[in-house]
Amino acid sequence: MEISTLKTGSSVAEPREVAVDIQSLNKWYGTFHVLKDIDLRIHVGQQVVVCGPSGSGKSTLIRCVNQLERHQDGQIFIYGQEVGAVAKRLHELRRDVGMVFQHFNLFPHITVLQNCTLAMRRARSIPRREAEDIARHYLERVRIPEQVHKFPSQLSGGQQQRVAIARALCMKPKVMLFDEPTSALDPEMINEVLDVMIELARDGMTMMCVTHEMGFARKVADSIVFMDGGRIVESAPPSEFFTNPQNERTRAFLRQIL
Amino acid sequence: MNFNLDFAIASLPIILSALGTTIWVTIVSCLGAALLGFTFEILRRSSRVMSYVMRFLIDFIRSTPVLVQLYFLYFVLPFYGVTLPSYVVGILGLSLYYSGYLAEVFKAGIDGIPSGQFEAAHALGLRRLDIVIFVIAPQMLRNIAAPMGNYFVSILKATPYLAIIAVPEMLGQAMEIASDTFRYAEPMLTVGVIFLVLAVSIAQLVRLMETRLLKSAKR
Repeated sequence: MEISTLKTGSSVAEPREVAVDIQSLNKWYGTFHVLKDIDLRIHVGQQVVVCGPSGSGKSTLIRCVNQLERHQDGQIFIYGQEVGAVAKRLHELRRDVGMVFQHFNLFPHITVLQNCTLAMRRARSIPRREAEDIARHYLERVRIPEQVHKFPSQLSGGQQQRVAIARALCMKPKVMLFDEPTSALDPEMINEVLDVMIELARDGMTMMCVTHEMGFARKVADSIVFMDGGRIVESAPPSEFFTNPQNERTRAFLRQIL
Repeated sequence: MNFNLDFAIASLPIILSALGTTIWVTIVSCLGAALLGFTFEILRRSSRVMSYVMRFLIDFIRSTPVLVQLYFLYFVLPFYGVTLPSYVVGILGLSLYYSGYLAEVFKAGIDGIPSGQFEAAHALGLRRLDIVIFVIAPQMLRNIAAPMGNYFVSILKATPYLAIIAVPEMLGQAMEIASDTFRYAEPMLTVGVIFLVLAVSIAQLVRLMETRLLKSAKR
């Protein structure tokens, strides 16, 4: 626990544990400098939205948090544990960090229910019955109760993404990462996924979310981070971010998408 | 020499007496080759050093004739104190030889799995071995059922090689009839037809498996 001046600008007064702490993070692809001196802190129960033009490094940043991408410099802590330092036990750390992908990435060869129970059974050693009960609970929460024995390909994109969210929730993660969760969806399916995410946020889930859904950001984000050229150029609560952006590039971006 | 149908039918029971041997040697060799080949391919992906080591091993296995490998195991190893029964040598030889080819097939099958599958599995915190068994292997099998089946047929058709190291499989039995009676046409044709039936059966089985796998999940 720490009593902090919240970097993210949220005016929460009580001390809160830091869930994700990114400190002077740098990453290169070969000679290309993708992430430049990123500092970002997400407290428990906070929701942070990361936005920015494509190629700005936002997906790379979120993928560094659970080390799907390795960084070369700087540190990332999840609940005080440094992620880069524990290569051997990385899989244990990842169990506490749920991730939802742009393209859902459900396992196509097993049913919806098995998608949800696989990690619980293999990584958390939860017996089958119990795992299935937990899975059904979360599938109900994301409103996929009737289709647990279907295969992912038999569901719509929106349904698949909601299953993916349930699959992540089944592990009872301490943080949820969303990497453009609605970008691959048909427009009429975006809201059913966003509604689930809004509920999650209301329930106090700690979330880091790369998205261009500004309506969602306005509704739930404690803080919106704008990235450009591998840097965080602006970080502010939605009220300030939308009405009084400080950076010219942020203003240009907002003009484009709003 | 005229073809004598009665003689062909008379030789059938003797040749069929070796059918069991041919079948179980084929099955065990297929399993052995698949297991070895899969292990090679997984090891090849595990680290940079292993990738060089396994690449070399796989190329070495594939680039030497199966007969040379069989002779080596059967005739050379005993000089170093390793004397294996001919069955074991035969199964080991076929498994090893075809594992090199199957490793290549598995490589293509794994390359065909979208990277998001690996990422999702890692993000869930699954261990490497669990990822291999529960996420990679089943999807790989779906991608490669047909080429893998072809190699299973090849293994079946390679079992006659084992005649030369005294495994009593079908061609060996046919040769015995032939050298006793100096009639080659009937026993050879009989053996050929039996192999044809077996090969077609395997191909059908694989096709059945493939449609079942594809039906379970399309992507």
